[in-house]
Amino acid sequence: MRILIVEDDQPAAEAMAKGLTDAGHDCVVQPDGAAGLDCARRGGFDVMIVDRMMPCLDGVGLVETLRRDGDETPVLFLSALGEIEDRVTGLRAGADDYLVKPYAFAELVARVEALSRRRETGSVLTQLRVGDLEMDLIGRRVHRAGQEIDLQPREFRLLEFLMRHAGQAVTRTMLLEKVWEYHFDPQTNVIDVHISRLRSKIDKGFEHPMLETIRGAGYRLDA
Amino acid sequence: MPEDRDAPGSGLLRLFRAAPFRLTLLSLALFAFAGAAFLAYVYVAATGEARRRTDAEILREAASLVEVNDRAGAQALNSVLVSRMAGEQRYLYLLMTPEGRKISGSLARSPVEDFRGEPVWIRFNLSGFDEDGRPVSIPARGFQQKLPDGAILFVGADTDDDQQFIVTIVRGLWGAGALVIVLGIASGLLISRNFTRAMTGLTDVVRAARHGDLTARAAVRGAGDELDQLAEGLNAMLERLDRSMAAHRHAGDSIAHDLRSPLTRLKVRLETALIDMEAGRGDARQALRQALDDTDGVLRTFSAVLAISRLQAAGEAPNAVLFDPAGMVGDMTELYGPLCEDKGLEIASDIAAGLTLRGNPAILAQALANLVDNAVKYTPQGGAVMVRLRRRASGDVEISVTDTGPGVPQHDRDRVVDRFIRLENSRNMPGAGLGLSLVAAVAEAHGGRLELGEGPGAYGGSGPGLRAALVLPSPS
Repeated sequence: MRILIVEDDQPAAEAMAKGLTDAGHDCVVQPDGAAGLDCARRGGFDVMIVDRMMPCLDGVGLVETLRRDGDETPVLFLSALGEIEDRVTGLRAGADDYLVKPYAFAELVARVEALSRRRETGSVLTQLRVGDLEMDLIGRRVHRAGQEIDLQPREFRLLEFLMRHAGQAVTRTMLLEKVWEYHFDPQTNVIDVHISRLRSKIDKGFEHPMLETIRGAGYRLDA
Repeated sequence: MPEDRDAPGSGLLRLFRAAPFRLTLLSLALFAFAGAAFLAYVYVAATGEARRRTDAEILREAASLVEVNDRAGAQALNSVLVSRMAGEQRYLYLLMTPEGRKISGSLARSPVEDFRGEPVWIRFNLSGFDEDGRPVSIPARGFQQKLPDGAILFVGADTDDDQQFIVTIVRGLWGAGALVIVLGIASGLLISRNFTRAMTGLTDVVRAARHGDLTARAAVRGAGDELDQLAEGLNAMLERLDRSMAAHRHAGDSIAHDLRSPLTRLKVRLETALIDMEAGRGDARQALRQALDDTDGVLRTFSAVLAISRLQAAGEAPNAVLFDPAGMVGDMTELYGPLCEDKGLEIASDIAAGLTLRGNPAILAQALANLVDNAVKYTPQGGAVMVRLRRRASGDVEISVTDTGPGVPQHDRDRVVDRFIRLENSRNMPGAGLGLSLVAAVAEAHGGRLELGEGPGAYGGSGPGLRAALVLPSPS
């Protein structure tokens, strides 16, 4: 995946680029909004990571300009401003996701990968399949190896999100955001309990566990 | 040093410099100008009127004399003139030959020079003597015409009486004007003394605040006027500023206090790990993991403190909307359901439908999550957690979480809402102790409050339980 990082804090940008390169991605770093815009316009990026406050042209201005030009490349905003209203302005400017500094690197990688996936699966699906796990989005039914699994509505949405991001790490905060649609840092293990419920339903009685816990990051559903 | 540039001078100078005094002077100047214009108008109008009256009288007198002349001849006119001059002399007369020589009359010669036979008006001065025998010049007017027989008749009157009357009026008005100006200056001084006294109080408070003393308050005189409103506004502003400053000082202290120990622990862990690694023993990964956990804790404390500060500084909920809280309360109950079950707690909810709140649903959700989180954390196994949304009799909307845990003793209830306060017996629980402070800040930002009370007690729990309620005003 080709990633454009527009960040004026050089050590942070370098650490980010190194981590993402190690994770198998191709990174280009630009130190300010104007250079970032030039680079973005040349195209060819799958995801852009844009710092919100930068010299020359700030993140909001950059994303607004790109969107006006019709460039729909997914953008993840990085910001030290974490309040709800900052988030709202960021997303309104056209960013696709918003991460508040300081963030865990695992969270950044998970969100960047989720963004690229979102673009690939832009078409409307009626069925999801990961390994022998099948989800019928119309009939709202789930089968594993032909065996029907009975899920609560919330468990269904949780599994749907995990299946849409199969093979990727998803964090607890992402799950609270996308499945429950609330934005806060779940302090206790409240999300983990939901996951372990779901895990007992889809993995119990099967030899190969699909839903794994990734230490320090979150969870991953894999065939 | 410009330190006391705003300190006004003392005494009279201060009064003269006061704004109301200047305003009084300005209005007096305007008044004096209007008064002068009025006087000028009166003068012109009155003199005009007097002249018209005198002229009419002169014409009437002249006409009657001409009539005598026409009817009875020059001889009769002369005798009429002589008899009129013998009586009260209201008019001045002069009858002359066509060549201009005096025949009879009270004037020695006509003031009209170069008479061409056309009727003519003239304004002239009579020389006479006043009561004390001093020579004076008396203003007069006259009309001269040629009679049909060629003789010339002049009739005039002195206008001194009219003039005197007008002068008296104008002089009186000037006197009244002077009196008004003196009284005006005096009342200006009086008003500005009162005003200055009130302003001095306000200025003193502002100066104190500028020098860092936020405790001084301006006196409200109870008149309910603009000055009182200003004083009240100033006091409210100082109150808020003082509280905010205190909160910041307190936050600074608390952050320093609360972050020092985890940061110290982190440092020790990293040092030990480094030493172990250099000596080639131990597993550095374990130490790094713990260090990461410590860092997370520090960052979490930071975000909580920041969130509280921002809510307190803003004083209102950002992006507030009108919404029905039922969905949000249901979501939070559902979110914590499995956690409660795992801990052997019963969780139930009682959610009233059709209520409306004005606020930020996401922030309120986080506040409610904190309350449920607390309840789950402190309630021992076998207990229960009840989440309730209802409208109080007062009309306020209440979102409450009741548990059957140990509760919070009455005397500690105010304290637990303070930042970082954690009761002694909960020291071993995870968390930075900011949960309830955040909830209280959220409640205040929504114009409401956080109430802590006793739970149901006997409901199968191990203590009196805690009832934490977000009490929020219903939008009108």
